Amino acid sequence: MAIETMTVEAAQAMAVGYKAIGAGLAVGLAGVGTGLGEMGIGAAAVGATAEDRDMFGLALLFTVLPETIVIFGLVIALLLLF
Amino acid sequence: MTEVMSGPAPYIYVSTRMRVRKAKLIQREEYLRMLNMGLPEFTRTIEEMEYKREVDELSASFGGVDLIENALSWNLAKEYQRIIALAPGEMKGFTRDYLHKWDIQNILTILRGKVQGLSEGKIRAVLVPAGELDAAVLDRLLTESSVERIIETLPQKQMAAILSAGLSEALETHSFGKLENELYKYYYATLIKAARGGMKGGLPFFKYVVFEIDIKNITNLFRIRAQGKPDVNTSDIWVEGGSYHAEELERLCSVAGLDEVVDTLKKKVKSPVLIEALESLREKKPIYAIEGMLITAQLNQMDNVSKRNPFSISPLLVYLERKKYEVANLRALARGKEAGLASEVLEKYLVM
Repeated sequence: MAIETMTVEAAQAMAVGYKAIGAGLAVGLAGVGTGLGEMGIGAAAVGATAEDRDMFGLALLFTVLPETIVIFGLVIALLLLF
Repeated sequence: MTEVMSGPAPYIYVSTRMRVRKAKLIQREEYLRMLNMGLPEFTRTIEEMEYKREVDELSASFGGVDLIENALSWNLAKEYQRIIALAPGEMKGFTRDYLHKWDIQNILTILRGKVQGLSEGKIRAVLVPAGELDAAVLDRLLTESSVERIIETLPQKQMAAILSAGLSEALETHSFGKLENELYKYYYATLIKAARGGMKGGLPFFKYVVFEIDIKNITNLFRIRAQGKPDVNTSDIWVEGGSYHAEELERLCSVAGLDEVVDTLKKKVKSPVLIEALESLREKKPIYAIEGMLITAQLNQMDNVSKRNPFSISPLLVYLERKKYEVANLRALARGKEAGLASEVLEKYLVM
């Protein structure tokens, strides 16, 4: 049975690659989750603002709240990469 | 402009708009304040509310309480038309079907007015073009020379067929009551068919339709009992599709004790709001009080359903009904104040 061997350089390169994939997933999935959350909040915010202009500030605040999830994803990505 | 018609976003958008509009409707405290106002102050208050545009538009043609009444009706009609335009996808179809009852009301008003020989202007003043038949179509129907011609030219052929079938009897008996029953039976059958047609969001709509039929049947039951003529044949007034069978309701018309009526009615319903309303009917009350309680139960049940199904047809239906009763309340207040009724008397007729 043939035994596969791997050089140290190749192993290190693979580890960097996995980290990059992990970082990408962290940001990407967090972004998709945020998008899904913002879809409902955004639709409701636009609806509420259409009826009452005074709600714009509050509606905008609620719409951007899920953005924090992307920041969590970004933090994880940065921790993985650096 | 591209319109987003898929996914939950359009439902969320419209539901939120309806919730905001509902929150802006007149609250109980405001009605109580209005009860103590004189007619001029009340008129000024109405003019400063959401009805300002309609009051301004109609002020050249009407005055006094007539102006208020017409402004209220026009506002309601315009509001309903705007909601149909706003509603997305299947919600639009359900809303159109639901508002079809205004067509029935308008057509019956025209027919009754024509038979009684009222002028076109007087009939037009009480029409609310909130359904499929808009103001232009209703105006055209009003100019027709006879009731037969009105029915012939009616765009809704199924409704025309029902009217044609019962017209001669209605003219002979001078009563459109039976025709009205037939039209409402057709209306609810159409709603049930639409709700059970497998369309998205049909289930909450279906549940609401069943509840509305139950309320209508219970109201009719208590009306018949209040008239004290339970021996009259009532088999053709009950609307099918609700929780109660026609035979059961017919039997309850002649049952002497209220307790037995309430116990039988309670067995078939699950809604705690309706059960509570039925419980309070154990003691003898005037029919307007019973109707008021049932309407309140209906509105509260709608609120509950809309909270359970926040992004469905329910918030829209709640708003449609609440708005209808706001207009009815303001109209009652205007007419009541003009007639000099005491605020205690008026309060009993308000749906708050």
